[in-house]
Amino acid sequence: MALESMMESISLDITDATKTLFETMIMMDLKYDEASLVDDTQIKTDIIGLVSFTGKYHGVIALFCSKKFALKIASTMLMTELTEFTSEVKDAIGEVSNMIAGNVKTKLTAQYGEMHLSIPIVIAGEGLSITAVNNHPVVSDTTLSCFSKDPWLMTPFISNNEKFNIGLLLKESNK
Amino acid sequence: MPKVLIIDDSAVMRKIIQRNIQQSGLIVDEFVEAGDGREGLEKATSHNIDLILCDWNMPNMTGIDFVKALRGSGQKNNVPIVMVTTEGSEAKVEEAKNSGANGYLTKPFTPEQLKSKLGNFLLVK
Repeated sequence: MALESMMESISLDITDATKTLFETMIMMDLKYDEASLVDDTQIKTDIIGLVSFTGKYHGVIALFCSKKFALKIASTMLMTELTEFTSEVKDAIGEVSNMIAGNVKTKLTAQYGEMHLSIPIVIAGEGLSITAVNNHPVVSDTTLSCFSKDPWLMTPFISNNEKFNIGLLLKESNK
Repeated sequence: MPKVLIIDDSAVMRKIIQRNIQQSGLIVDEFVEAGDGREGLEKATSHNIDLILCDWNMPNMTGIDFVKALRGSGQKNNVPIVMVTTEGSEAKVEEAKNSGANGYLTKPFTPEQLKSKLGNFLLVK
């Protein structure tokens, strides 16, 4: 399968996994739109929840959202009103990213063989942007660096009147 | 009275599991928490635990390594272990069962799914 059509298929898996998560553990409304390719220069976000996977294919699934939305998700999951961006909020975003990536990985595994998930990484700030540079002679195949100028396949979601995105980077691993 | 050990590197997930159990009507006297398999192993052997819930992907010692280590130690063989994890492939479920896990629940889960899975090991009020 061509990488582009595979990315589209995974994007549908991401949508399904996100819907399931919101229906079971977050219990907030969810709307979504079609995925599209987004250049990294267009990404501006407060929070990034990253999970990478390796195997026949390797890549990154990342949640991009505002600080306000991260607080709302964490408050809902913990059933308590959080107003400060604490380590608990980062933990909640990490777990959300992990559950989406884990479900996508299960579907990928069924089709392409065993894959391995990383532990989630959460990056928090204000107006963060992503630039993956690839000018170093030694670049690991499993880091963001290997995607250098590749666009993200980004699926936009709206919940609780807040927009958030889930992005995908994907490559076939070297044999 | 039943004592449940929850092993998960996410403190938020440990709280969610506890809350769901408390609201489900399942009888639990005390929760013990661990943030990875290594801490889980220490607490499983030093506390009088009746049921263990264990995540798979964790730092230091993974959940499956915890299951293999505990079952391999010959201790607490009668204590059931339920994996609660995002790992949902058939191969992982099989590996967990072959290693000595007694139940398997994939995240995300509803409170009803958790209650149904743990109802095999805990009494309901």
